[in-house]
Amino acid sequence: MNRRSAVLLVAVVLVLAAAGAAGAKEGEITLMTWGGDFIPREIIQEFEQETGIRVHYKEAPSNEDMQSLLEANPDQYDLLVVTDYMVDILRQNGVLEVLDKTKMPNYANINPVYLGNYYDPTSEYSIPYAISISLLLVNHEEVEKLGAKPITTYSDLWQPELRGKVVVVDWSVEIMGVALKSLGYEYNETDPAKVAEARDRLFALKPNIVRFETNTPEDSLINGEAVAGFMYSNQAVKGNAADPKLQPVFPTEGMPIFIDSWVMSKEAPNKDGAYKFLDFIMRPEIAARIADITKFTTPNKAAEPFLPDYYRDNPMLNLADEVVENTSFYIGVDKVLVEYEHIYVEFKLR
Amino acid sequence: MKTWKRNLLAVPILVWIGLLVGIPMVLVVALSFLSRDHLGNIVYQFTLDNYRRVLDPIYLRVFLNSLLLALLTGLITLLVGYPVAYITSNLPPRRRALALGLIMLPFWISSLLRTYGWMILLGNAGLINNVLLALKIIDKPLPMMYKFSTSLVGTAYMLMPFMIVAVFNSVDKLDRSLLEASYDLGASKWKTFFHITVPLTLPGIAGGFTLVFIPALGLYFVSDLLGGGNTVFLGNLIHTMATRGRNRPLAAAFSMGMIALVLMVLSLYMKASKDKTGEGLFQ
Repeated sequence: MNRRSAVLLVAVVLVLAAAGAAGAKEGEITLMTWGGDFIPREIIQEFEQETGIRVHYKEAPSNEDMQSLLEANPDQYDLLVVTDYMVDILRQNGVLEVLDKTKMPNYANINPVYLGNYYDPTSEYSIPYAISISLLLVNHEEVEKLGAKPITTYSDLWQPELRGKVVVVDWSVEIMGVALKSLGYEYNETDPAKVAEARDRLFALKPNIVRFETNTPEDSLINGEAVAGFMYSNQAVKGNAADPKLQPVFPTEGMPIFIDSWVMSKEAPNKDGAYKFLDFIMRPEIAARIADITKFTTPNKAAEPFLPDYYRDNPMLNLADEVVENTSFYIGVDKVLVEYEHIYVEFKLR
Repeated sequence: MKTWKRNLLAVPILVWIGLLVGIPMVLVVALSFLSRDHLGNIVYQFTLDNYRRVLDPIYLRVFLNSLLLALLTGLITLLVGYPVAYITSNLPPRRRALALGLIMLPFWISSLLRTYGWMILLGNAGLINNVLLALKIIDKPLPMMYKFSTSLVGTAYMLMPFMIVAVFNSVDKLDRSLLEASYDLGASKWKTFFHITVPLTLPGIAGGFTLVFIPALGLYFVSDLLGGGNTVFLGNLIHTMATRGRNRPLAAAFSMGMIALVLMVLSLYMKASKDKTGEGLFQ
């Protein structure tokens, strides 16, 4: 390529980029969230065909990345999906728009059991999109063979018969949470006496844990090295699909819940387009298809008749309201993290 | 004039190292003295808290744990790698090239994939257990995964080529006439080996040990995957602190501790090998 054609190429690229930027004002919206098919591409295409609004999908690897990208350029993004605690941070930092529900008739489809949580007490800033919980996945047959009693609670994980047979996700806050819940306390307890009690309780669990694994804990149950595991619901769904003997147990002490939610940038360039998109994905049949593709629990109550049978019959995907009412969030992680990490390291070194 | 011209060629690499190693290094040092707010953002306020926390007895045990892993890794790679290097260097030239090629071959595959290979080999439903079960040698799977020793085997395997190559270079340069002299004077093969070969290849042993010890401190994914997260090494701790722990200043302070450990080993190496510049490590 000679110099002149190189200059020409650069010029063409610049003109095209400028044209693209100019078009953003009218029929375009920009979403930002995790990659993969978290917002299914086929649903986005349908929306584009129906409305003529172009959708840009900006992928970000984590809540924290989304936060820094949004706060650096609040006028470049219309909508984001972030996890509950990040809704709280963004809301307090004042970068979120108060949502106008009158522009979204389908908002009525959202199950109120998922609304009014700590991160958005008046449900003004966020709309729940994808929900998951943590729970126990148990091979009841093998538990019985070991001579242990059936597992229905976290406390049952402490049975000496389960020595070296339990797998758990690998994070201090969650594992301390199991110990706290088994004592009847809440997540992220700060009272020193209760924390000390939970610490001792946790240490007693060590002999039973075969493996700490955050990404694929279900594998340990599938290959038989563990008979019970504490993991996220999407992992438990995979384990159950691979081996139907692995059954979910919703511990009676309560479970953690994670609600990934839609929020709108206060300086969104195309708010009307964004409302149209939110209303579109809250249509019952669309919400049902999203749930089918992403394998997350949908907060859309009206979507239920449209859900595929396998999904509707799976208690880990189609969460019962009683289960949801028995869940709570990890609130105030920052206040406990340093101490819990310390306890956790001591726990692991035992 | 001539040396000036020759040194000019070193400028790009110096700039490269200065930018990509020097600046991040300075940032880590600075970060280790800073505080953070409750959202994990860095606050520009001087504190010694991070170092105070590094000296906590529990975290000191993590240091000891890592030290133990790295020392044992050095020992295992030496015991296995020395004979391999010794035999390889005594092969005829063409076979020698082939042997060296085979030793380096694993590097063609991602180390993460090779770690998963070990999991396939050692797991409860893994290759070894399945073969032993099929042959009715055992009646239930041998638990070989998720132990300190599993991490040790994986780390030693991963770093073995460094030891072999370092010792190989040293054995290769050995003056064979000295060995012949030893035999002529009536020393046995073993006596010659321990009194002549080993002392003369000591720089290679020290170099190999250093090259194995240092990365062994940081291979946290091996202990995560093979060790099942059952124990904590420095690498794991720094990784957790910097990511989920949202405490980069503390992670930086731990990194400084790790660097101190590495410097200690390097100074021991320089003493042992009388290599004042560390050049020997890269031969």
